[in-house]
Amino acid sequence: MKETRLGDFEEVILLLVGILGEEAYAFKLAEEFESQTGRSISIGAVHSTLSRLEDKGFLKSAMGKATAERGGRRKRIYTITAYGQRALVASRDFKLSLWQQYPAFATDKLNFGGQI
Amino acid sequence: MKPDRPIPSPLAQRFLRWFIKDELAEEVLGDLEEQYDAVLESRSSFQAKLNYWYQVFHYLRPFAIRNFKSTYSNPTLMFRHNFIISFRHFKRYKSTFLINLMGLSSGLACALLIYLWVSDELSIDKFHKNDSQLFQVMVRNHRSDGIAVIDNTPGPLAEGLADEMPEITSSVTASWTEQLTLSVEEKNVRAAGQYVGKNFFHIFSYDLVQGDANQVLTDKSAIVISEGLALKLFNSTENIIGKIVEVEHEKQYQISGVFEGTPVNSSEQFDFLLPFEVFKEKNQWATDWGAHGPRTYATIRAGTNIEQFNLKIGDYLKKKSGDPNIALFVRPYSDKYLYGKYENGEPSGGRIEYVRLFSIIALFILLIACINFMNLSTARASRRLKEVGLKKAIGAGRSALVSQYLGESLLVAFLSLTMALLMIVLFLPQFNEITGKQLSLHFSLTLMYSVLGVTLLTGLLAGSYPALYLSGFGPISILKGKISTSVGEVWTRKGLVVLQFAISVILIVSVLVIYKQIKYVQSTNLGYDKDNVVFFPRVGKNLESFLAEVNTLPGIVKASSIGHSMLGYYSSTGSLQWEGKSPDDNVSFEIVPVNHGMLEMLDIEMKEGRAFSDNFRSDSTAILFNEAAVEVMGLKDPVGKVVKLWDEDRQIIGVVKNFHFTSLHENVVPTFILLAPENTWNVMARIEAGRERETLDQLQQLHQEYYPGFPFDYQFLDEKYQALYIAEQRVATLSQYFAVLAILISCLGLFGLAAFTAERRLKEIGIRKILGSSNLGIVYLLSRDFTRMVGIAILIALPVSYVLSKHWLQGFAYRIDLAWWYFAGAGLAALLIAWFTVGLQTIKAARVNPSQCLKDE
Repeated sequence: MKETRLGDFEEVILLLVGILGEEAYAFKLAEEFESQTGRSISIGAVHSTLSRLEDKGFLKSAMGKATAERGGRRKRIYTITAYGQRALVASRDFKLSLWQQYPAFATDKLNFGGQI
Repeated sequence: MKPDRPIPSPLAQRFLRWFIKDELAEEVLGDLEEQYDAVLESRSSFQAKLNYWYQVFHYLRPFAIRNFKSTYSNPTLMFRHNFIISFRHFKRYKSTFLINLMGLSSGLACALLIYLWVSDELSIDKFHKNDSQLFQVMVRNHRSDGIAVIDNTPGPLAEGLADEMPEITSSVTASWTEQLTLSVEEKNVRAAGQYVGKNFFHIFSYDLVQGDANQVLTDKSAIVISEGLALKLFNSTENIIGKIVEVEHEKQYQISGVFEGTPVNSSEQFDFLLPFEVFKEKNQWATDWGAHGPRTYATIRAGTNIEQFNLKIGDYLKKKSGDPNIALFVRPYSDKYLYGKYENGEPSGGRIEYVRLFSIIALFILLIACINFMNLSTARASRRLKEVGLKKAIGAGRSALVSQYLGESLLVAFLSLTMALLMIVLFLPQFNEITGKQLSLHFSLTLMYSVLGVTLLTGLLAGSYPALYLSGFGPISILKGKISTSVGEVWTRKGLVVLQFAISVILIVSVLVIYKQIKYVQSTNLGYDKDNVVFFPRVGKNLESFLAEVNTLPGIVKASSIGHSMLGYYSSTGSLQWEGKSPDDNVSFEIVPVNHGMLEMLDIEMKEGRAFSDNFRSDSTAILFNEAAVEVMGLKDPVGKVVKLWDEDRQIIGVVKNFHFTSLHENVVPTFILLAPENTWNVMARIEAGRERETLDQLQQLHQEYYPGFPFDYQFLDEKYQALYIAEQRVATLSQYFAVLAILISCLGLFGLAAFTAERRLKEIGIRKILGSSNLGIVYLLSRDFTRMVGIAILIALPVSYVLSKHWLQGFAYRIDLAWWYFAGAGLAALLIAWFTVGLQTIKAARVNPSQCLKDE
């Protein structure tokens, strides 16, 4: 049976795919991950997660057009599927409901600077 | 893009390309190059390269690595494919398949039967729990004519050794097995039993079902019986402790214990045990350190160095008895059965030689069967060359082909195993009859392992050569048809056939020699006439009147009694003094006490002087010697001289011709004969030939009248004599079967090869016939090669078999001469059989119609 749970790291990568849009391919994702989190990561690790997410059906991919950059090689561009989006929303809702159930962290008592 | 920028490491790229999936290569290389450029902007080119390597290594993940195994490999599918091909091949070439199957299965069956027999032989006497510590004390007797090894020890030895030797943890004395009459009320049963010391059940692991091992033999009136005997005496094994059993109608014993009975793989077989104290009371000499009779067994502390211990006890008995010629040593108890023979004091094998002989025969037969398989498969390899070529051309690796052919030979091997097991089940009863064993195909773990092991080994051995050979060809040369059989291959095949036939010829010669020797032994005049002589134990009272009445029976030629069994040695003495005996002469003489008329009854011939006679009252102090004794003593004109025996003067009244006590394995021992009716215990009577049945009935009736309560337990002397040769007889019968089998399997192989050659040369034969060759010429052409091979085999085999037979015959004191025709006959037989086998095929080939075999191309 195929694993359909969304892991933490997977969730981050999935979100990054959404953020990067047309530019979502392994190298860019790794770069974005580093700049967003400050942690370094290998392209291989990102690529392996991407292919796993694709196996689970959260992502789909297609080869982009050849460019003069990178030796004329094509890129594999990833996009979030509807199923992937649902999984992201469910994950966020689930966490929010957890936040709200925890009295000490309840949103009305905490000051997040009105961001949430 | 900057054209002059440093490029990423080509080695890293090659490495990445090597391991990464093809479909990922492009994007990954692209990503990595972008990364490389990005690093290069801020750092040195070295760091960028290092980072490139780092990224490459991070692609060593399961999702990205290519599948290095062949993408289309499917083990079960390949297995099925191979299986189908093998099966079709069997169906297409039925004769080859059947020859292989028959040869291998009979070879395996025979090897397995021998394995069963050998493992049974090796298990004898090994069942005792302290087997590794269990020893028998033996005696070396340094006599003038060499060192004799006997197991008869003085009665007090067991206790003496246990007291004085700290290495001995426990020891026991046991008498020999004898047949006695046991009675409960009106029921009389003759059974075998021994007198044994108290420790018996501590030292030996015969299972005591009822009674306490410490107690059962302590009481002087105790008897321990087997469950089997209990059933015979009481019809039950329950509640019999404490019941009374009368032995020989003399003495009453109380049952103190019941044991399970002696296991089949025990060399000692008995049904009851009596306390050794009773034996001592009955035989005063059994307390004497100088008289040898019972056996002594001991358990020795683990870790004792037996060689040193033997040195230590060597002189023990010399000191005790004062006899300077006696030395003690111990040997493992379980060696008694297999290593029982001694030559001049040194162990010289025994039954173990037969065990080795048969193990070798089993190996040989298996080897012959394997050779068949190898020869036929390599010879037929040409048939499969196209198959091999095609497979190789579409990408089959060598290992795949090797496993296919090994798999095929394993398949045949396991099919053969199934057949072999069937054969064993079928032939085991006959085999048991021949070997006198009770073997069964029990599925113990060791047996299973060895069966599977042997089969696997056979399959691999038989299949390895064809597998490696067939898979070694290049696909192009095969498909081009350029394979010519190499000289080496033909030589290997011929060599194997020669080996097969050499082994077969050796077996034929051996069988001939064994058969002739056995025949010789059984028909040789022993120096007395053993035919139609019945013997049974004397019962003590009224011997003379009983004998007188027996002698009046119409079917009896003559009856008398003797203090000897005439089969094997009974008692001997070294205390004979004669004129001119030197003090260091140590000759032991066999003692034969006889009754009146015994020598005449046995037809023992006189060389000089006269036999005992009723007319001379002085004959009770007379003595007769055999030729061997006279020779040892060095007496000239012995008749009339006086010798001193046990401090009594005895006059020599005659010399008898030599006669044999045991099998012809041994020389005639010096013997003297005394007229001493009171010391005889064996009644012997010669019955007129053809009247055995009625006379035996009358004898039984008479015995019943005289000795009510003593069963009439008779045996025939010649039958008992045959039993001395039972081991050789069995070897002879078995080796006959095995030789026939070996020759049959060899011929099967030859048959297959001949058929193959004839088939291969069919076109040649056709052309030769068209050019005018006669049928006979073609038969000659085809048989010439085989004749040469068999001829070489015979030349190799004959000297080998000569040496082997010579060696085997050395074990007999009286043996046949090796006549030339044994070897010529065996060789000729092998040649004829080979010709016959090949001839069947070649004649068929020679009669072929040339137009038939030449028309198609």
